[in-house]
This record gives sequence, structure tokens and C-alpha cells, in this order.
Amino acid sequence: MATHKRINIGEHVVLRLPSNNFKVCELRADTEISLGKFGAFRVNDIIGYPLGTTFQICYDKSFEEVEQKETKNKAKTPAGNVRILSDRLSVSDSDANGDSETDLSKAPEVATYLSSETNKNLINVGNKIQKLTMEEIEELKKQSVSGEEIIAKMIEAHGSFHHKTVHSQEKYLKRKKQKFAKFFTVESPTSSALLQYLIDKNDVARALDLSQESLGIILSLANVRRNGTYLCVDETGGLLVYAMLERMFGGNALPDQDGKIILVHENEHPNIDLLKFSNYSEEFIKDHVKTISLLDFFEPPGVEEVQSAFTPLSHDALKEMKSNRKGAYYRRLRWYENQLEIIDLATKLSYDGLVVGSTLYLPDLVLQLSTKVHGSRPIVCYSQFKETLLELSHVLYGDLRFLAPTILETRCRPYQTIRGKLHPLMTMRGGGGYIMWCQRVIPVQENDMAALERPKTTESLEDNEVKKQKVE
Amino acid sequence: MSHFSQYKDTIQPGDLALAWVSRDNVKPFRIVPGESFNTRYGSFEHNAMIGKPYGSQIAVRTKGSNKFGFIHVLQATPELWTISLPHRTQIVYTPDSSYIIQRLQCTSRSRVIEAGTGSGSFSHAFSRTAGHLFSFEFHEVRYQQAKKEFEDHGLIADGNVTITHRDVCQDGFTIKPTDTTSYYEGSSAHPHVAVTLDADAVFLDLPAPWDAIPHLDEVIMKNAKVILCCFSPCIEQVDKTLEILEKHGWTDVETVEIQGRQYEARRQMVRKLDDALNRLRDVRERKQVGVERRKRMFTKLLNEEDTASEVRPPTEKTQFNPFGKGSRVKEGDTKFQWKEVTKVEAEIKSHTSYLTFASKIGKISRNEEEVLRELQKVRDGKSNN
Repeated sequence: MATHKRINIGEHVVLRLPSNNFKVCELRADTEISLGKFGAFRVNDIIGYPLGTTFQICYDKSFEEVEQKETKNKAKTPAGNVRILSDRLSVSDSDANGDSETDLSKAPEVATYLSSETNKNLINVGNKIQKLTMEEIEELKKQSVSGEEIIAKMIEAHGSFHHKTVHSQEKYLKRKKQKFAKFFTVESPTSSALLQYLIDKNDVARALDLSQESLGIILSLANVRRNGTYLCVDETGGLLVYAMLERMFGGNALPDQDGKIILVHENEHPNIDLLKFSNYSEEFIKDHVKTISLLDFFEPPGVEEVQSAFTPLSHDALKEMKSNRKGAYYRRLRWYENQLEIIDLATKLSYDGLVVGSTLYLPDLVLQLSTKVHGSRPIVCYSQFKETLLELSHVLYGDLRFLAPTILETRCRPYQTIRGKLHPLMTMRGGGGYIMWCQRVIPVQENDMAALERPKTTESLEDNEVKKQKVE
Repeated sequence: MSHFSQYKDTIQPGDLALAWVSRDNVKPFRIVPGESFNTRYGSFEHNAMIGKPYGSQIAVRTKGSNKFGFIHVLQATPELWTISLPHRTQIVYTPDSSYIIQRLQCTSRSRVIEAGTGSGSFSHAFSRTAGHLFSFEFHEVRYQQAKKEFEDHGLIADGNVTITHRDVCQDGFTIKPTDTTSYYEGSSAHPHVAVTLDADAVFLDLPAPWDAIPHLDEVIMKNAKVILCCFSPCIEQVDKTLEILEKHGWTDVETVEIQGRQYEARRQMVRKLDDALNRLRDVRERKQVGVERRKRMFTKLLNEEDTASEVRPPTEKTQFNPFGKGSRVKEGDTKFQWKEVTKVEAEIKSHTSYLTFASKIGKISRNEEEVLRELQKVRDGKSNN
């Protein structure tokens, strides 16, 4: 199996819980990971399986007794054994692993219960219909009874389960499974998974309210690919950079790739916090993500200035240097190389695309950064609000260096995906932002125009004509 | 030569370029010295473009008038190609294709199956990102056209695109040396060995995806997560697809729909209530002048004064015209005040297709010995430190 498709030691993964919430974890050998009420598991047990595998946490009785004796700290969730599930929905299913020693009979399936054609006999009496009390259920959970058993007991104690329709029973089971079942899916930390993680944490404001569909279209419109050098402003905590790296290099580092992202940041230090969840080495990120402050980008130091402040020593001179001075020398050398790199990034490069996700005033920012973008390369700008892009579009319309600025919106509408009951979900997440897309172009030069045969019309007509065609 | 996978600096002979005439008139053309690109604005000589940087605006004097015509010469990208391409079939537009690529977790390591190729619009987007794209087309003529196009665009030479003539619903996805395919034309491919597709992303744009899905097991990656997307316009197709997905062990099934919208940046004149009131007052006052004049005339007539006909003063146009009524006002005219607004495009794509996603891991297992070795390695590494 290719390593990028596998659960590896030392890498970050995203765990999808029964509640469909996401959790980001680093898989350290010989440790345990606790999922709270969904149980805990040993990392070693899941290493080597394909990413995307769903594991069930099982607690058998003998195991339980040992664990109870050993664990002095009651608050700590004991780690159970894991078993592979073929499907998140069929919690009781165990054929994938072959060992079905756990009681299949206890697993509740709709087919095993009586149901009703309609719900005409179903009277809503609230909680009273459930004979098990909260305390009793909590007690069952403490005894580490499996999720299925708890659900089976709850159905037994449910006064009118047989009055529900099959469909409604299925819904009930699914809901209860999400609550009591102990399973998790190990997913690769893709940009989409990280975004979903932020959404679940109610933290998507940090990523400027971005949606998966907006993220996808930004990357496509910006023509992000492995060999480009891109200029980027990212106020999403690094999600944009993360997603660009993913499109360029796949999940983890590929050797011999020359693509680069130049991240321009407004504070003294860049905020690419989310990159800590990536599985790239620090060195790889250093090689492919160059960070530079707005000030350094627009007002880079002069080459002479830098060179007069420091002169690298020859190899021989360095050999003779005392070791206590060497440290200082290397610090200065790093500074020197960094300064020269800043000068290169700010002055020598012509970028293959500009990707902006920023709350800075866009007309100024985009106009100035665009001077560094090569002709026929895309400029893509994301904003949570249409109005800021509208203002930007008007400014770009009036500037001949930009072709066809367009404001786009893309929304994904999820469906209830059940045979015979397909319909759009009743509610979905609002927001997701807007995108401005245009091409950087090079307006015709005055002397090029003059070279064409001069007409007897006035200059102003020509100017208007240039504009008119642009707007078309 | 690849026209898509390399960033080009200047326009060179032999390049595939796009001429942007207007938003809905973008034309692909080949740069050939001595030839010209003709539009109704004029004829643009290729020689005037060669050597200029991509993105250059090119001017030409329009025949018989004193105006200029302009085009921009752009380097093709999959998205610009989608706008300009010759339609052989209905195509997958960027809002859908970009979402699908994102959701299939398509990266430079992905091995992607696409069936059918159609107009090849999505193939271009896949080829930009994927490690390898295996595209299948059952229509012979469309296969030939698409294959030629991929060759002309350098996609085949780039080495990461294979196109095969095949009805995948009937004959599955396995590529053998006897097939009509571009695969064995590459120098690296062994001419006698069947291809290991080992796909981990699948896109099915077929009228009956349920006939193709059972064949997938033979060609998808084993012991790894594979993601599938079916692109179907009808809900009945989705329903039937769901049945077969369940039967063949695909899980995490979800159908979604993508709605893409484009907005135009426009301006609306700010027309204040006070100005409207003042305008009405102005009209009333001017009317009053006329009324009074007529009243005077009438009285004179009653008094049988001979000099009845008072000279009618010429009606002067009012100076007060806050909204530029009666004249053609250009949007954004600086003599007026404007509010910036967005206008949604006149015709929107209200439905493209349903996208049904599913995933599958065929045969989950791990190499226990390998895992033990790896764990030991980590422990050794720790104790050394």
C-alpha cells in the first residue's frame, strides 16, 4: 500500500466520531487516544491500516476487570480493543474482520422489531415513553456496556417503539447509534477535513467563513499546480496555503518539486497555524512556503545595504575562527541569506497567480500585489462578503491591466440520501463567501498604437474604445 | 510540447493560445507566423503577437472605420479552455468540476478514472492535478476527436493522461494491449502488459452508471480508500445508483447539488426623494407660468381686447434635471451619484447534475510484522535520544 493511503506512526490524522464531529490527532506510538464518551483506543492497534478505515471500540468483560483494577484514576477512559467495521452505519457488522465473537444478537436492527404502517397511533408524551431513566442509562455506560446493548435496552423500555413507522425507527436507531456507539473513522488530514474540523468547532470564522466548494473553486480558478510560483495573502490561519500545498504536492512531501508559495503577511510573523496539522516536514515547508511581511515585500532592503552590513567569510577564514564566535557568525549569515531572499521574492519574481483571502482593503492590496503577477495569470480573491469584492471589481474594471473581473458564488446543497426518499436537507450551513476572478493582462502600449496608421479622429475616442471593448 | 502544464512567458510560434475577444467569445488558435486571426473588429496578424508576453492586448485598425479593435492573447488554462472549447457534448462546468476535484481528494498522487470523456473539458482539469488520468469514451468519433485534442494540447506527451475507446458499462475498465488506447503509445509503457489502473478516484459521467459500478472492483486500489462521484442529471438515476452502490459495498454515500452564480458589478443612480420632490415642484411652477399666461389671454379675450394674442415665450428647458431625464446617461457618469450594486447573470444554470459521492476500501488489512518493525524503530529512536 502506498504510504500516503496508510495510517502511519507520527502523522496527523482526522478522527470522525459517531456524532460526525471531527478531531485532529497525532499518532504517537505506544500511546492511547481518548474520544470521551465514545471510548478510548491504543494507537498501535490502528497503525498500518488504510486511511478511511472505521474502527469499533469493544470492551469485553475480562478485559474490563483488569482495566478497573489497574486504573486508579477513575476519570480516565479505559482503552478498549478495536475491531474493523465495513460501514459506519452498520455498527454491528463485523464481517470485514472475520472475528465475530461479540454478540451479534444484541445488535438492534429495524427488521427485528414490529413496526407500524403509519404513525396514527403514535402519541407524543415526551420523555415518559422511555422507561429507562437518565441515571440508569448513565449506569449502563459506566459499566462499559456496548452501545448496541444500551440501544437494545432502550428500545425494550420504549413504550411505543412498535407504533413508529419503519422509516422513523431507522432514524431513531441512527440517532441512538450516533449517541452511544463507540466507533471512529481515521481520515487523512485533507484541506476539506481540516475545514470541516473548524466548522464543527464553530471556529470557521477563523477561516473567513470559507466553504469546501469555495475552497475548491479558488484552487481551480487560480490554476494551482505543482510547478507554479504563487503569491498569496492568507488570513484563514493557513488553510488556503494548506490547500494549495495539497494541490501542488499531495498529502506529504514529494521530492524534486519546484513549486512555491510566497505568503505575504500583515503582522510581523505569519499566521499559518493550521500547517501544524500537516504531514510535511518542517524543512519541506521552509523550502516551499516563503513568508515575507507586507513591508518587506513593498519596501525590500537594498542589495548594497545588506552586503555592506555583512560579508560572508571564505571557507579558510571560517576554519580559523574561534568556536565561540562561530555561533554569532552563523546567526549573521542566516540573517544575510534571509535578506537576500526577501529581495529576490520582492523584486525578481513574476508570479504565476495571486490568491488573496484577506480582510485588508482589497482595492489597494490587490492593485499593488498585481504589479508582480505575470500576464495571462489569474488573480483570485476570496471574501466573506460580496460587497468588498464588488468595490474591488469596480476598481479593476477601470484598470486596463485586469481582464473580465467576475464575482462568483458557489453553494453545495446536500440531500437526504436515502432510496425513495431523496430530497434536499431541510437545513444547511449558510455562508461560504464569494470569489472574484480575473486575468492579469498587459494593455496595448502607446507606441504600438501609434505604429498603426493614424486616423483623423481624436485621441479620446480611442481611449473610450479601449474601455468599451474591455467592458464587453 | 505542452501548452497547459508549463507556464509560458512569451507567445511563440506553434503555441496554442486563446484569443479573448469578449466574455462570450474566447477562441483557441494556433500561433503560425504569417497567419492572422480574424474577428469582426479586424484581422490580427500572428507576427504582431510573437515575442510579446502572454496576456498582451493586441490592437488593430478596424477596416473602413477610424476605430481600433482589440483582443487579448492568453495562455490556455483548463478553466479558460472550458469557456472556449468546441462542445461535442454537455460539459461539466467549473463550479461542479472544482468541487468534485476537491471532494475526490485529487492530488498529484491520485490515479483517476473518468468515463466518459465527452468534450474533454473535465479531462483538462483532472490532468492538471492528478498523478494519472484514465479517461474512457465509448463514442468512436468523440474518442478520436478527444485523443487528437489531448495530443495537440500536449496532455498525452506529459505522460499523465491515457484515453481509451471503450464502453465501460459493457466491458469494464481493464486496459489490455489489444485495446484502442493511447496508453501504449507512450515510450515507457510495456506493449504486452495489461495496465494496472489502481485507481483511487473515480468520476462517472454516464447515463447508466449502475452498469459500470460493478466493474470497478477490478481496477480500483486495494486496501486503500477509493472515492467515487457519479454525475447524473435525473433523480431517478440517483435512486438507481444508490441501490447498486449499496449492493457493491460502497459507503459514506451522499448526494449533493452545486449551484454556481456569477454576478456583474454594476451601478445604480442614487435618486434622492428631495430631488424627486424638487423636480415635481419645478414642473408645477413652470406649469403655473403657462396657466397664468393662458388665464391672462382668456381675460383679455373676454374684454375683447384686440391685442389678444400675447406673444408666447419659448418654453425653456428646465435647468433642474437631477436624474438626467431625456438624455442618455452612461452608467457611472461622474455628474451623478451612484451606488455600486451586483446583478446576477441573465440566465443562470439552475441545475447541472446531481453529484453522488461514495467511498470504498476493498479488503481492509495490515501487515502485522511491518507494523511491529516500525513501532520498534520508533522505540529504538527514542531510547537513543
